[in-house]
Amino acid sequence: MEPEQYQATLEGVLKEEILRMYQEVAENPDGDFHFHHGRDAAERFHYPSEWLDAVPTGAVASFGGVGNPHLRAALTPGETVMDLGSGAGLDAILAARQVAPEGRVLGVEMNPIMMEKAAAHAREAGVAVEWLAGTMEAIPADDASVDVILSNGVINLSFRKRRVMEEMHRVLKPGGRISITDIVSAKQLSQSIVNDPKLWAS
Amino acid sequence: MFRLLEESGFTRVKSAVVPGFAFKKESTRNSAEAYGVKAVMMTALKA
Repeated sequence: MEPEQYQATLEGVLKEEILRMYQEVAENPDGDFHFHHGRDAAERFHYPSEWLDAVPTGAVASFGGVGNPHLRAALTPGETVMDLGSGAGLDAILAARQVAPEGRVLGVEMNPIMMEKAAAHAREAGVAVEWLAGTMEAIPADDASVDVILSNGVINLSFRKRRVMEEMHRVLKPGGRISITDIVSAKQLSQSIVNDPKLWAS
Repeated sequence: MFRLLEESGFTRVKSAVVPGFAFKKESTRNSAEAYGVKAVMMTALKA
């Protein structure tokens, strides 16, 4: 197999595993995963209890982030916020409360089942979020249309991180900002890890 | 990721380790430590 073909095949397999794993978190929040999730994780990352209490239980139980991007986002009413990789919707819902009433929140998600869950959670929370089906490597938004991008634990899953950064830069307005939490590695991961969909998705 | 942000045109890139982050399973935690894996908060601006 040619290297490009191998890379494309590996990316496809990994994408499927990522979709499967995070969907499993949403559908089976009591399951045993490599990472902390749900309310336990959110409280570890200092999401205020009163915020979590005011969000649908399902959105909190399915939370799979690796930190709290709200801590440094400094969202203000009226801003347009994008949650890149919105999962079950917790960060988007919390953002919508902070930028209301005139602000907008766009949730970008590649998994249609997760997006449906997130939309249901937002309706239950009584907040308006615009859900956009798409990937972080090809963000479905106009140039210079967003004030703030939030992202929580998803960029590390991409094989094309440079492309993700360029896309974030493209959709931000001049003066716009990002507040992301994610996983980084000080050393190059071994090929055995890169080639293992379950480890990569973790 | 820090370098990629700068190379993509972002300015004032700042990062800090996320306190409280750890993998749940010991085997994953050990592998993560060996590779220096950690969670970080990052902020940056588009000039």
